[in-house]
Amino acid sequence: MLAMSDDSAVLSIDFLVGFTIFLLAFIWVLSIIPGLLIGLQAFTIDYDAVAYRTGVILVEDPGQKSTNETSWEIATFQQNYNKADVLRFGLAVSREDPNILSLDKVNRFFDNTTFNYPGDYHNRSIFGDYPYRFNISLKYIGSPESAKSIGEVLPEGYGYIRRFVKIKSMSNATIDGSNLTFLNNERFINGDNTTRTHIFSILLNNTDLIGEGSLVKDAAYKIIPGKESFMINLTYLNQTIVNAMNVSQENCFNISLNNTIVSDSTRTITFFDPIIDEVPLHMTTPQPVKRNVSILYNTTANRRGLNWEAPQITISLIFNLIPTGEPGCTMGSRFLNNTYTAPFDYDNNPNNVTQPQLRDAVVEVAVW
Amino acid sequence: MRSDGGQLYTIEGFAAALIMISTAYLVVNATSVYTAGDTHINDMQLETLGTDALTVMGTPMNTTEYDTANSTLRMILEAPDRDVMFRTKFLELVNSSGTGPKQDIQFVANYTCRIDNSDSTIPPLQPLSSSSRSLTGGEHPVRVTKWVIVNTPCGNETTRDRAVLVEVLLWRD
Amino acid sequence: MARLNDDAQWIVLMGFLVSFSFFFLALVINQATVVGQTTAESVIEFPKNDIRDVRSIIIRTESDTIQKDVYAISLGRKNAVVYYTFPFTPCYGKYSCTQIHFKSGVTEYDENWTSP
Repeated sequence: MLAMSDDSAVLSIDFLVGFTIFLLAFIWVLSIIPGLLIGLQAFTIDYDAVAYRTGVILVEDPGQKSTNETSWEIATFQQNYNKADVLRFGLAVSREDPNILSLDKVNRFFDNTTFNYPGDYHNRSIFGDYPYRFNISLKYIGSPESAKSIGEVLPEGYGYIRRFVKIKSMSNATIDGSNLTFLNNERFINGDNTTRTHIFSILLNNTDLIGEGSLVKDAAYKIIPGKESFMINLTYLNQTIVNAMNVSQENCFNISLNNTIVSDSTRTITFFDPIIDEVPLHMTTPQPVKRNVSILYNTTANRRGLNWEAPQITISLIFNLIPTGEPGCTMGSRFLNNTYTAPFDYDNNPNNVTQPQLRDAVVEVAVW
Repeated sequence: MRSDGGQLYTIEGFAAALIMISTAYLVVNATSVYTAGDTHINDMQLETLGTDALTVMGTPMNTTEYDTANSTLRMILEAPDRDVMFRTKFLELVNSSGTGPKQDIQFVANYTCRIDNSDSTIPPLQPLSSSSRSLTGGEHPVRVTKWVIVNTPCGNETTRDRAVLVEVLLWRD
Repeated sequence: MARLNDDAQWIVLMGFLVSFSFFFLALVINQATVVGQTTAESVIEFPKNDIRDVRSIIIRTESDTIQKDVYAISLGRKNAVVYYTFPFTPCYGKYSCTQIHFKSGVTEYDENWTSP
């Protein structure tokens, strides 16, 4: 039989079938491979995106507690502030006011003693599995105050976002004891030659401040005593010890602050931490006062036991005049006292109360 | 019949060649070169900056200003020297930074208002603040806008409360 | 029979080695730049600030000339159709409501706003 030539180039059927199956399988596997790379992304390039997201969360969102409230910076019903309750940080005053930040939230956010870098901040504002390092800072524009910041020092390369914001300042009221004309007009100086105990009351009328009839509609300008800080200063109290002719009787009496009580017309609590003569005290017994008393309700003040949304909240300071024993002095004197006249109205009138102002600031988030 | 034992080696060679060539192809095609501009991140940062700055300028400072619908931006637009005032205030905001990098941001600002007797015609842009140097066309500007209610004439129109749109083109040098 | 010449197998093996090491290097060095681009582009594309801005003007509208201003300038300069009812209709007793509609071609936004 003739031998077939060496270059017949015939491949067997078995080989064709086998090779076809191999090729098909090979092409299929090849098309899966790009999907394998998805889980192995490099983390370096999304720093800017993470910084932007954190910027939005901080600046445009009011934050959230586990009870779904947005005032995560104060402890309303607990004795101590519990940071585990905070689900997410957010510095905005409310959802409807993006880019307007609350001073209390800012102070609480930048407080190193409450929250730790990086764990607490990562879980509540950065998010994500990768342990990013970051630096968040806030600086008032046009003010020499130094910037507040948390986090590490910036390295060479990082993702970055800058947001401009307005920060809502605290409202406060000052009752100036040296302005006797004003005090007499408002009938805040009362009593007679025998009165030793004087009660001065300040009224926070929530119906006017936060109620539906309030003239201030926007949360960015409202005074919300239940959720925000406020301060009441009584200055130059020694100059309000006067007799019926408005002649000073300072040297006849020493002032002592017995008590500060806050009531919502059903409950009453005592405020133990006034600032007397610029020294913060924790008072359980009557304390002497030379000139100034300040009541500062800030994020650390204990608001427990009172319904701060009640229609009327009254803060009453109970003073006692102690005779010094000087000759020619009467038993008691007129003083800052509105027990039988109207309380001081802590309201939206800029003549009485310094209203919250919005100040420019810049927030920067750097992630690496 | 000739021996076909060598076919196995041939197949092996084919398969190996295929795998190697496809690997090389995947590898070379997987890496891509993105320039900084392709990612648009700088554009996003600039746009956020601009809108934030205009928002901060356009927010009333206290409840009194809120009630009268007044704000820094409105006062600037109603002032006769709005060019200089806008430039000063905007640059003060936009170039301020806390711990971050210093930036050099340039801008051109205009505003648009509507003529009363026509519902749809809008006059050309009224200049608000010109740039410190002329545009060369090589900048990549980002446009940010803000609505303001002002009480001014628009061109030759009467002075009335009107809504105008302030537009700012921002770029980095 | 004589053993077939299989020296070429070494060459094939080395070829394999080199291509697999290429693959490994690509895995390690590859920068996923696609992530940042998508995020930034989608941020720019969504008109969040435009909507907030127009909304704040609509809420403070006090005349229908301002309404015409908003319609005309939105269409002319922002390429967005804005529609809202003015004067605001009374609803729920003492409040006033308005229907706000914004459409920019890519994004559409509807809201039934109630005055506080």
